[in-house]
Amino acid sequence: MAVLKRVQQWATFARIWHIYDAAWQNPFESAGVLKKYLTGLYKPIYHPMNDCGDHIVVINSAEIALPGDEWKKRVYFHHTGYPGGATWTLAWELHEKDPTMILKKAVYSSLDKNLQRRYTMQRLHIFPDANVPSDMLKSISNQIKQLRLVPKRLDTYSEEEIKSFPKIYDYPKPYILK
Amino acid sequence: MSLLRTLLSSSNFSKLIHRSTNIRTVSIIPPLHLKEIKEIKEGNDIVISGHSFESARVPYLVKTSCDDSCPLCQLNLDIKHTDVLILSQFVRSDGCMLPRRITKLCLKQQKKMSTLVTMAQKAGLMPSLNPEKSKKDPKKRFGWKKHNKYFYDA
Ligand SMILES: [Zn+2]
Repeated sequence: MAVLKRVQQWATFARIWHIYDAAWQNPFESAGVLKKYLTGLYKPIYHPMNDCGDHIVVINSAEIALPGDEWKKRVYFHHTGYPGGATWTLAWELHEKDPTMILKKAVYSSLDKNLQRRYTMQRLHIFPDANVPSDMLKSISNQIKQLRLVPKRLDTYSEEEIKSFPKIYDYPKPYILK
Repeated sequence: MSLLRTLLSSSNFSKLIHRSTNIRTVSIIPPLHLKEIKEIKEGNDIVISGHSFESARVPYLVKTSCDDSCPLCQLNLDIKHTDVLILSQFVRSDGCMLPRRITKLCLKQQKKMSTLVTMAQKAGLMPSLNPEKSKKDPKKRFGWKKHNKYFYDA
């Protein structure tokens, strides 16, 4: 086999490491994208029996955003198996206990329900903040694009930027500025 | 104030009220303009004077073609609740929405802007322009309110 072909073979079957910044992202929309990379669905060599999934490092999972009042409406159910062992935990309560859990559960339930699912989940590395082990960072070669724009807070703009931004209207002449 | 008191005590004025209830034509305070108060000390005298000055918004005003419709309808912008630089223009420093006679918007746009302002405040994007007794820093809010949230704005 020619040298070039050999390298192409390695490059095709090597596991790629991706990074995804979950700040201000909806975890359930993100799960659909992460699933594609975790299982290798985007690869031309994809086959359910072909183990070609990639690794994903997710950072800032504590900063995920949910729409409207979903933080208090979404409920996570758990049953211990004992009588009276049912618990219902709200999304914001679960997020305070473990800031990686919502994203993890979202990806887990978006994956196909088969025996491979637990092994696919092992390739997902979620961190609540941006502190990633350096050996993990070294192998990263691709960044997955965020789904929604991260909003910028008003106090992060400088005074000059706020002052010189185009103004829609001017105050009427007799006006007390508050 | 003494002028008003004498007017009220006189019997003439009570008849006047019966005819028309508009007492506000009697102006005690001069109309307030945007003025800067300056204190100048001249020996033993302190002179306090008000100087009217140009609004800081004048050089950055968006040029609109006609005065028939409101500026936002003319600009035809797709404003989201994350556009805090636009939304903060319609808000007082305590986070209250300014009335329509000052913003000069039509009713439709005024209602739209006030919902977007509320969304931005609830998402914690305008922490300095929040109601006085609210937790301005979103991270210090109670329970589910401390987490990041966004809204679907039509
Ligand atoms: Zn209008």
